[in-house]
Amino acid sequence: MEVTFWGVRGSIPSPGPSTVRYGGNTSCVAVHLDDGGILMIDCGTGARNFGISLLAGAFGRGQGKATVLLSHAHWDHIQGFPFFGPFYVPGNAFTVVGGSQGCELLERVLEQQMAAQFFPVQSYRNMGAHIEMRAVWDDGEIRVGSARIVAHPNPHGPTQALAFRVEADGKALVYASDVGYPAGGPPASTVAVYRDADLLIHDSTFTPEDRQRRVERGLSSVEDAVEAAIRANVRRLALFHYDQDYSDLDVDQLASRGRLQLDARGASGTTIMAAAEGMTVRL
Amino acid sequence: MRVRFWGVRGSLPVPGSRTERYGGNTSCVEVTSAGGTRIIIDGGTGIRRLGKELMRAEFEAGKGCAHILVSHTHWDHIQGLPFFAPFYREGNQLFVYARRRDDQNLRSVFASQADAPFFPVSLASTRAKVAFRELQDGAAFEIEDMRIATARLNHPHIATAYAIASDGARVAYISDTAPFTDILFGQEFLSGPPSRRPQLSRGDKTRLRAMAGAVARLCEGADLVIYDTMYTTDEYRQYPHFGHSRPSDAIAVCGAAGCRMLALYHHAPDRADSEVDAMWSEAREQARAQGKTLEVVAAFEGMDLTLGSG
Repeated sequence: MEVTFWGVRGSIPSPGPSTVRYGGNTSCVAVHLDDGGILMIDCGTGARNFGISLLAGAFGRGQGKATVLLSHAHWDHIQGFPFFGPFYVPGNAFTVVGGSQGCELLERVLEQQMAAQFFPVQSYRNMGAHIEMRAVWDDGEIRVGSARIVAHPNPHGPTQALAFRVEADGKALVYASDVGYPAGGPPASTVAVYRDADLLIHDSTFTPEDRQRRVERGLSSVEDAVEAAIRANVRRLALFHYDQDYSDLDVDQLASRGRLQLDARGASGTTIMAAAEGMTVRL
Repeated sequence: MRVRFWGVRGSLPVPGSRTERYGGNTSCVEVTSAGGTRIIIDGGTGIRRLGKELMRAEFEAGKGCAHILVSHTHWDHIQGLPFFAPFYREGNQLFVYARRRDDQNLRSVFASQADAPFFPVSLASTRAKVAFRELQDGAAFEIEDMRIATARLNHPHIATAYAIASDGARVAYISDTAPFTDILFGQEFLSGPPSRRPQLSRGDKTRLRAMAGAVARLCEGADLVIYDTMYTTDEYRQYPHFGHSRPSDAIAVCGAAGCRMLALYHHAPDRADSEVDAMWSEAREQARAQGKTLEVVAAFEGMDLTLGSG
C-alpha cells in the first residue's frame, strides 16, 4: 500500500511562509491499496488538494469509489469535507466511517457543518455523490476490499478519537492522531493495536515542554509518540498533527529530538520522519 | 483610520507556496480609529494572528475591547473565532454584530460552532465578556467615535455590508455578494446556474435594484472599498449561483460612487499569487479604460493602510 500525506497540521490551518515546507493544511492522509481501493483518513483542509488530484481520474468521471475514516469530529478533522471535489460528482460512491457513538451522530455532525447558516450547499445530500454513513464500534473491525481495518478508541482530552490499524498487502499501517495518554503512557490495549506496524502515524503536536503546559488538550508530544513506537516495536514512525504555531524549523527540531530519543533508548532500528504535505510512503 | 488585512481568502484557508504572497488565511480585516476604537470585520482564520498580536497589549491584561462585525456566518467568515485568544482572558469585552435571523438567534449560531463534538472549548466557557448584537437590514449605529452603516448583500443565506466612518475617512466592506443583476439570493439552495435567462420576476428585479442602491450609498465617496471579487468573468459564468462577484462588478459600483480606492478581496482558494497579480493588472486596466480615477489594489495579508487624518 501507498500512504500520502495531504494535511499534517493540528487545530487550524496555518498558512504563511513559516509553514511552507511541512505544510499548513489540517489532517488528511490517503491510502492507496494494491487492489485499487482508496482510503481517506480524516478530512481536514488537506482533503481539498487530495480531491483535486482524484478528479483527474475515475472520480472526475463519476466512477470513483472510496472509504473515508474519521477519527473524531473536531473541526480540523472534518473541515475539508465540504471542499472535497469528488463528493460533488454524481456517480461517485463513498462510505464514511465514524466513531462508536453511532451513525446518527456522524450524520448529524456532518449535516450541521453543511447547514445553511454555515455553508451554501446546506446538506451533504446536495453534494451529488452517493455518501453512506457507517459507524464502527470500539475495537470493531471493518473490511474494505482486501484491507482489514480495526478502530480503537484513544483518550483525547474530555473525548475520544479513533486510532485506525489498516492491514493489507502483507503490511500494517496505524494512524493514531489526537491522543493524550494517561500518565504511564499508552496502555497495553493500545500498544496491541500498534504492534509491529510498518508505519505508525502518531500525534506529535507538541514538544514535551509545551505538552506539559497543555495537558488538558489531550494531545501528544514527540516523546509520547516515540514511547508508543518503542513499546509497539514499530518499524517506522511518522510525526503528525503539529501545533499551528510551529514553524518548519520547530518541526525539524521535533524530528531530531525524536531521533535522539530513539537512539538513547536503543531503538536505532526504528526510522523516524516528520510527515510533510505531499510526502508519499510506500509500504 | 487604520485598516489592516489579516485574511483575504474566500471559501477555505489555503496554505502553501502558491499563496505565500497574498496569504492563505480567510476573511478578516481590522479597522481602528485614531481614538483607539477597534473594529474587526469577520472572523476567518486571519483573526487568529490578530488575536495573538492583541494579546501583546491590553487584551493580555484583560482590559481590551473590540467590536466584531460579521458579514455572515459561512465558515470562512467565522472559523477563526474559537482561536481568537482575547476570548479566553477575563475582563476583555467583545461585542459581536451580525444580521438578525428569524430562525435562530446569533448566540446559538456561534455556540453551535464551539460545541462538542466540533471543538473542545464551549462558548459558555470563554472568560471574556461576550455580547451579541443583532442587526436589522440597513441598521445604522455608532461605536464610540466610529459611525457604522449597513446594507443587505446578495448572497446565499444573506450577508451584510458595512461602512465605517471616522477620522474624516470612510471604508466600506462589501463581501460576500453576487452582482445585483442575475439572481436574487435568499434561503433556498440553488443546485446550478439558472437554466435560462432572463427569468427574474418584476418584484425580484425591484428588490435587486433597491439592494444595489443601498450598496451604492454605502460606497458613496468612500476612501476605500473592500469588495468580494472572487471570480473571473469565466468563473462567474460557470458559478453564478455561488453568490460572488467579478472585479468588473466592483469597478462599476466604485466608479459610480466616486470611491478613491478599491481593494480586490476574498480571493478564490485556487488562485495562485501570479493569478491574483494578473486579475489585479487586468482590473487596473479596466478602471483606467473607463476613465475612472479609481485606484485598484489587490488585498494581501499584512496590507496596512492609513486613511483620513490618521
